[in-house]
Amino acid sequence: MITLSDLPAKGGSPLTWPMGIFLLGLATAPFWLGPIGLYQYLGIEIAIWILYAMGFNLLFGYMGLHSFGHGAYLGVGAYAFGLFQLHVATSLWGGLLAAVLAATLAGALVGLFLAHRRGIYFALLTIAFGQVFWFSAIKLHAVTGGEDGLLGIPRPPLELGFARIDLNDNAAFYWFVAALVALVVPLLWRLVNAPFGRVLQAIRQNELRARFVGYEVWRFKWATFTLSAATAGLAGGLFAMAQESAYPDVMSLHQSGLIVMMVLVGGGLVSFWGPVLGVILYFIARDVLGGLTETWLLWYGLMFVVMVMVRPEGLAGLVHVLRPGKGRAR
Amino acid sequence: MLNLVPHLVNGLTLGLLFALIALGFTLIVGVMEVINLAHGSLFALGAYFALSTIGGDWLAGTGLGAWWQGLPLWSRYVLALAIGPVLAGAAGMVLELCLRPAYGKAPLYGLLLTFGAALVIEELIHLGWGTGEQHLEVPQAINGAFLMGGLIFSKYKFFAAGFAILAILAVWLLLERTPYGAVIKAGAHDSEMVRALGYDLATLRLLVFGFGAALAGLAGVIMVPIWGLRPHVGIDVVIPAFLIIAIGGVGSFWGAVLAALLVGLAVGITGAYAPAWATMSMYILLILILGFRARGLLGRKSALES
Repeated sequence: MITLSDLPAKGGSPLTWPMGIFLLGLATAPFWLGPIGLYQYLGIEIAIWILYAMGFNLLFGYMGLHSFGHGAYLGVGAYAFGLFQLHVATSLWGGLLAAVLAATLAGALVGLFLAHRRGIYFALLTIAFGQVFWFSAIKLHAVTGGEDGLLGIPRPPLELGFARIDLNDNAAFYWFVAALVALVVPLLWRLVNAPFGRVLQAIRQNELRARFVGYEVWRFKWATFTLSAATAGLAGGLFAMAQESAYPDVMSLHQSGLIVMMVLVGGGLVSFWGPVLGVILYFIARDVLGGLTETWLLWYGLMFVVMVMVRPEGLAGLVHVLRPGKGRAR
Repeated sequence: MLNLVPHLVNGLTLGLLFALIALGFTLIVGVMEVINLAHGSLFALGAYFALSTIGGDWLAGTGLGAWWQGLPLWSRYVLALAIGPVLAGAAGMVLELCLRPAYGKAPLYGLLLTFGAALVIEELIHLGWGTGEQHLEVPQAINGAFLMGGLIFSKYKFFAAGFAILAILAVWLLLERTPYGAVIKAGAHDSEMVRALGYDLATLRLLVFGFGAALAGLAGVIMVPIWGLRPHVGIDVVIPAFLIIAIGGVGSFWGAVLAALLVGLAVGITGAYAPAWATMSMYILLILILGFRARGLLGRKSALES
């Protein structure tokens, strides 16, 4: 089985070839999405989900902690953004800051419980916490609006001091999301290729040994969990803007499982770029297969099952197989 | 305090039913060390097969339909109680064959594979039975309500709870008092040694998985008249099941039964004071118990921890 650590350490500048291709794709998407039969809003959704999936993969792929309740933090971010707009002030930066802070706080608190857990007990506890958030979102009617969620969340304009850009237009909003993604993804890349990222991989491979070498493992687990919740919160705030609403469905076990599927299918276990491939594949499958048949989730699910059986390293793993001798240590 | 009695009774019956759901789950976790996230889908599958057995709509084209629907309800119900679990067990065996590449790998793979399988089974149920809410008929003898001490109780709930007790005892007898049970327990403890002693491990796993899935199907046929039948009922079911396993401790039979009763009581008592939050109480219980006892109430060290 290939694992992430079979990839050579990169270090240095994040301006690699894949990063170049990724940023180019991000920057040019509005020009070719239409001509190939897709639409602008899909670009927004994919960009937001890439943010979410890449933050999630810090935990899932790099650290090997399998969270099945990560939708909770996306949801917390979305609700925080919505509540800020509706009750505090109509402000873009304020809302996004509220989203990130709320998700960070939620992640930090839950992380305290989880940081000393491993393996299946970690996974089970993340499910339980995810359900607690989901359930609270449904039941705390007065705050969250229950099953319907918060409706009519405005998209505040982008204030840059010298200019004021209206984001109600999907094209303008896409540029805003893409700019944030282009900012966060290189930061994440830098993080996982820094000593911090090496420690995460060491903990995944052998937690006991990492502890013996002198790393306080639980602090790394806690920090990674919190960081990945914070990224999910940012994605959640953007998602609330995109949907102009926030609702509990994104926090359900089903949705939290889907992000795991996307990351795994794309190859998050073997590559930094795996989540990007997985998210793109999922949304294309949803739109293309979903247009052909109502039961597209059946086919996506079957594909996923077969993939776990024969090629758990996912799409990005295929690249490794096609390029033998490069990056594969064995 | 009298007003609490019906809630306690409700909680206990619910706990017994949870134990019935968790039985097959804990058996599979014990022997295969796979958290079977498709357990709830097999539960739903068993119930849907029972629904078709009782309804007999698919026989309509063959001319046997009228004859079948003319049979007394109880005979069709008893047959459904057998056919539902058997077909769910068969589906479980197919799933086990798919799971084989995941043995010996990180527990994540079993979790992911069964999550995918759950998705597939749910979509197949959509295809076969539609997305609407369905109702499973039960015979007149166990339907309706009765009065006891001035309180109204549902007859069916008592039937279901009694059935759950019988099933728990039967599984316990199988595991503790028969040579088959000894092999199953040995397989959970040290599979290499079992193979070395000349038992066919692959067949053992196939049969245990099939049996666990059949128990899920049985729980489905029993539970669904209380909970209602929808394609996504599986997810409502698998969550209590794994909560119970985590609270009781992975691989512990009585741990699972104890945890199921605790969860049932927690839900029942919360239901008395804050009905809207009843379901939430089980998550809080899990977080509290795992906060203090990382392996659950009666759990031992397991390969699933690594």
